[in-house]
Amino acid sequence: MNDLQIAASRWVDDHGECLYRYALVRVRKPEVAEDLVQETFLAAVRGYENFGGRSSERSWLVGILKNKIVDHFRKLGRETSFTDMEFLSDEFSEKFVSIGFWNHDLGPHEWKPEPDEVMHRAEFWQVMRDCLSRLPEKIRAVFTMREMDGVPSKEVCAILSITDSNLWVMLHRARMALRECLEINWFDTPAGGTT
Amino acid sequence: MLVKFIGKHTPKCREMVRILSQSMDEPMPLMMRIKKRLHFLICCWCQRYQEQLRYMRHTARQFSEHADKASDAPFSAEAQERIKQKLAESAR
Repeated sequence: MNDLQIAASRWVDDHGECLYRYALVRVRKPEVAEDLVQETFLAAVRGYENFGGRSSERSWLVGILKNKIVDHFRKLGRETSFTDMEFLSDEFSEKFVSIGFWNHDLGPHEWKPEPDEVMHRAEFWQVMRDCLSRLPEKIRAVFTMREMDGVPSKEVCAILSITDSNLWVMLHRARMALRECLEINWFDTPAGGTT
Repeated sequence: MLVKFIGKHTPKCREMVRILSQSMDEPMPLMMRIKKRLHFLICCWCQRYQEQLRYMRHTARQFSEHADKASDAPFSAEAQERIKQKLAESAR
């Protein structure tokens, strides 16, 4: 084996698991995540001469993976009309009384503890993962790009070929659904902390 | 009386939560910021909703760091071997 082959094999051992989990939370399907990780490593082999060690190996590989995920989402947007009408039509109308104010019995509960105090709880991240997995694929793509990766709104729209208005509706629905899911499955449970 | 005035002249909660969500992605105009402040005087639920939008963003941004705690699907040995073989062919 030449040096590059040895290095590439080591990348899989050292970084494969991390890259796979990074991809999986965004694309949800294990086979898609595996393909993206493979494409990342292949791109890294092709572009190894350009890696000047300016960043850590992992940061470099994650950067390549991010671009592969964006390409995947771009393809997702092109292949469909990018709507999920059933999910988008759910306005959680039961949460509001007819004139539009919160139903006081169903309004948001107080969330405790503070975010930094839940970060070390593995159970919280599992609930977060499960709640994210309930979002339809396209909605989750929008949410992960915008909220997890901080991709600017205009860029998300360009990648997915959607308008600003589409984006805002999708994010609004995603945030409402995720909020509800986290409240029921974490914050309102004894493990979570409001009680 | 003040409650009625504010309720009449600021967006209803169903609309307010949509506006709060949009403000996470686009700057909120000054007049709407004023209306939002007034609305929060009479509605703790919308204020909580805004706090929770920020809470979710804060935790979502940390998700990648904690992905190992959130994963239930291992990166299989078979997949790793398959990728290594592909890489070995590619790196010749």
